Amino acid sequence: DGLRALDQYKKKDPTKVVVRFKAVGNAPIMKQNFFKVTVSNRFQAVIQFLRKELGWKQGEPLYTYINLAFSPAPDDTVANLYRSFATEGHLIVNYSTTQAWG
Amino acid sequence: MSSYRHAPSAFAAASPASTTLFRRLVWEGTVPLEIRVDPKELPANSNRGLEVCFVQASRVSYLPLLVPDLKRFLSDIVFDDEAARVLNEEDWWFESEEGTLLKWHWPIGLIYDNHTTMQSTKPAPTAPSAPLRLVLHLASPPTDKLLLAPSAEACKQAFMGQLKEADFLRWGSTKRMTGLRKQEQDGIWEGIKEHNFDEYWRVAGKVTPTPAPAPRPVSPPPASGHTRPPSADPQGAPDRDGAYGVRSVPVRLYLPDGPVLQDLAPPLLEDGSPNTLADFLPLHLSALFPPTAAGRPRAFALVQGVRAPLEAELAWLGACMAGADGWVNVCIGLLRS
Repeated sequence: DGLRALDQYKKKDPTKVVVRFKAVGNAPIMKQNFFKVTVSNRFQAVIQFLRKELGWKQGEPLYTYINLAFSPAPDDTVANLYRSFATEGHLIVNYSTTQAWG
Repeated sequence: MSSYRHAPSAFAAASPASTTLFRRLVWEGTVPLEIRVDPKELPANSNRGLEVCFVQASRVSYLPLLVPDLKRFLSDIVFDDEAARVLNEEDWWFESEEGTLLKWHWPIGLIYDNHTTMQSTKPAPTAPSAPLRLVLHLASPPTDKLLLAPSAEACKQAFMGQLKEADFLRWGSTKRMTGLRKQEQDGIWEGIKEHNFDEYWRVAGKVTPTPAPAPRPVSPPPASGHTRPPSADPQGAPDRDGAYGVRSVPVRLYLPDGPVLQDLAPPLLEDGSPNTLADFLPLHLSALFPPTAAGRPRAFALVQGVRAPLEAELAWLGACMAGADGWVNVCIGLLRS
């Protein structure tokens, strides 16, 4: 049944993958850079998590990129980004205080 | 190397003229919108009865780009001077009639197609080409869910980000996008804002691959002496910079009411044959698209408002039917039995 199939696909995937944060430019390097993130999270959640780890408030500029290449839409899921862009078993998220690849 | 294992790709034989034709068809595509201000938010002295705005919106445009005209319409026609003065489009947000929050960074065509496929799951679907009824709210935007400012500038940033992500998916680098001069990058967005096909494609043509050239018959080289050996193998190796040579086609699958699925979509399968929707969909949505032996599809794929045949090749879709942001957005709807 089509509707049942759709419900099946709506279920949140509890799998966790490794996100590796890499500082760019003057951004501070964290003591811990590898984190396990549940794949159903939106990228926005990853950004908020990073902000918390860095201890930075909402207004402070924080720019994030995947593989030093692009900034994903905040509602893109970690699952989608990981499948498309993971290297060596983790998703690299670069962070900086300035807009490097605008 | 056997070239007889599979039929020649009809899509790879696409001529430059047909590529341009499809790109122009996509560009010229429009969808009907019926926009009304939430009646609870209409200020006291408004011209009730006139507060519905009908727009034939371009599929490749974005809601933030509709805002200036909407604001003018509301100020001039619907609201009285007092209310018009306090209109602040920074607090505006849109919902579908069914209460779905509409995203600023989704192309309008995608919003429309996603609505169509959501309707396909309801017991009594609306007419296929009915206007999409939107509710415009003037205050209290749910910023935690919208995640993006409603401005045209934020929309442009998101748009450029999508182009870069598509570029990166195709080639493993964004050098084609970053190789554009600032003027050219701005030119792509200007093309969207002005809805100018030539202005958009003048730049987009530098980053969007085309389908492989048509197989050429064996013939003498042109008289100009510019020698180029005729292709010995009519199938040809995929053009290195062409649609069949990318690492992955930028494709997203939108299920009605979510989720949105994205995964690597190589243009060719392991056996060298073109990757088609008939290969890709069963791989990722097997419950809706069973592998042919197991049963008939329970769903359909909508691309730019068209039910795509499952033989459609992903590389061709990426080159000819992608949105202006470089992405092939496939909306999945349920087939009625």
